[in-house]
Amino acid sequence: MSKHHLGRGGDDGGNKVMLDIPVNETVTLADLTHDPYPIYKQMRAQTPVVRVAQTNRIFVTTAEHTKWIKENPDIFSSDDPMTPMKPAFQAHTLMRKDGAEHRAERMAMQPSFSPKVIRSDWAALYEKIVNEYVSRLPRGETVDLFSELCGPVAARILAHMLGLEDATDEEMQRWSQRLIDGAGNFGRDPQLFEASDAANVEMNALFEKIAQRHQSEPNNSAFSVMLRAKNPIPLSQMYANIKIAIGGGINEPRDALATIVYGLLTNPDQLEEVKRQEAWMDAFEEGIRWVAPIQVSGRRTTQEIQIGDVVVPKAETVMTIQASANRDEAIFDDGESFNVFREKHPHQSFGSGPHHCAGAQIARRTLGHIMLPLLFDRFPNMQLRNPEDVVWSGFGFRGPLNLPIYLD
Amino acid sequence: MVSITFIQPDGAAQTVQATLGDSVMQTALNNNIEGIFAECGGAMMCATCHCYIDDKWAEKTGDKSDGEDDMLDCAETEVTDASRLTCQIKVTDALDGLVVRLPSELA
Ligand code: HEM
Ligand code: HEM
Ligand code: FES
Repeated sequence: MSKHHLGRGGDDGGNKVMLDIPVNETVTLADLTHDPYPIYKQMRAQTPVVRVAQTNRIFVTTAEHTKWIKENPDIFSSDDPMTPMKPAFQAHTLMRKDGAEHRAERMAMQPSFSPKVIRSDWAALYEKIVNEYVSRLPRGETVDLFSELCGPVAARILAHMLGLEDATDEEMQRWSQRLIDGAGNFGRDPQLFEASDAANVEMNALFEKIAQRHQSEPNNSAFSVMLRAKNPIPLSQMYANIKIAIGGGINEPRDALATIVYGLLTNPDQLEEVKRQEAWMDAFEEGIRWVAPIQVSGRRTTQEIQIGDVVVPKAETVMTIQASANRDEAIFDDGESFNVFREKHPHQSFGSGPHHCAGAQIARRTLGHIMLPLLFDRFPNMQLRNPEDVVWSGFGFRGPLNLPIYLD
Repeated sequence: MVSITFIQPDGAAQTVQATLGDSVMQTALNNNIEGIFAECGGAMMCATCHCYIDDKWAEKTGDKSDGEDDMLDCAETEVTDASRLTCQIKVTDALDGLVVRLPSELA
């Protein structure tokens, strides 16, 4: 095992100093949802591994630990039988599986997301979609870019990639939200599961309707690729995979785009320099480092294990906080601020290990190569007149809830 | 000690010392070799640790892992018969002198 097993607080001579897990009694989910960053900063400095009593979960906040946990799935499993993800998806999905089973399901879908297929099939389509949606925006007034552009474009692009062109933007976004609300339904509110059940009925009906077409008119969409595989995975798992992508493939790019646009408009010097250097990819990477769209990933311990100075028992849920890792002082100078031109270091916004984001390259291409340059080319004088009106929110998933932009 | 030479697409070469049991990917990261990102940390899930191994070393670096070809198909850079994922090559004594060529970025 790695050096972590000895822990940085232990001495290698065998006299390990192991401490009980400190408990934070005060932090609430509401605090974290409102603004987690000062809390994480304090945790990194004082209690980098801590039980947050109000959530009964162990928070791990340094970059070194979060990366190590995700890269050691034998000790830190994704398989958590208790998550509400199962009822929400009506399936045990790949996100919550480990080992060979996980790989088989993931690789069934991966070809649709490969750079080759992005170049051959999706790039031109994306450009067309982005053009169309950007052209549709009104001029001379203030528009909520978040709801008028970020959400719908992410939905339309994903619909094509998954082979669900028949679904409307509105349907895609509604399904996504209901799946997410259901999967996050730790309070087991029956209404939220009723809503996700209804969405499942609608999605299943669509999948059944179009399956035949994807067999007879093959393309590179995820559904078509999975149906035509040499050794296809069961149909029920194809459905579950597509739903995972609907749940994960809309909100993150949407939130990422809104975050990056906010970062650039509130830092006009950087925006000018980004335009001059065409440093859109750097702006993309910095935006998702600064505010990771998925802030937290949960894992379950399969054995007792030392993390840093403390020993964590078996069968505990540890929350690896990539949002915090991305601002860790050990790696980033002044990580709290948005700075496209900072010294380059890898961030953890796409996770690491076996569950590393399947859509990372897609997100980079669509947002970094296509969307950002096109948007700022069309609206070179976009203004965020009242940045204080932007509301940020979220613990598990985070981004602005609105983005009132004046378009010239 | 085992030495490994990394060659960039522009020909720039850098020879480093590798630790037995590490992967070639880890060796690259430890030495800040440009072009090896290894975003998934060696789980064979990202193909951002892609390299080329010439024929004369291919036997010593061994067979590809199960599923390595599928993942290579998802590489951002050009894949050839010489393509390998550096996270799937373990450093052994037999690899002393290994030459690893790095791919150039496609537009
Ligand atoms: C409809 C699809 C999805 C929903 C509803 C959803 C929602 C959730 C929720 C609420 C959790 C917490 C479960 C737990 O750990 O006990 C979870 C885990 C997580 N999911 Fe998914 N997720 C979906 C798909 C995805 C996808 C595709 C991604 C990546 C793009 C993703 C990334 C994460 C991350 C990072 C966590 C962190 C929270 C955690 O593990 O507790 N999710 N998901
Ligand atoms: C900026 C945009 C995105 C961010 C920040 C993001 C982030 C993440 C993260 C952190 C995970 C790991 C979850 C964990 O460790 O449990 C993940 C997984 C995943 N993402 Fe993304 N994602 C983005 C866009 C996308 C897109 C566009 C798609 C779909 C095409 C997608 C599909 C997935 C899938 C299928 C998984 C699950 C992988 C697995 O469990 O093996 N993501 N993403
Ligand atoms: S490090 Fe991700 S595939 Fe090798």
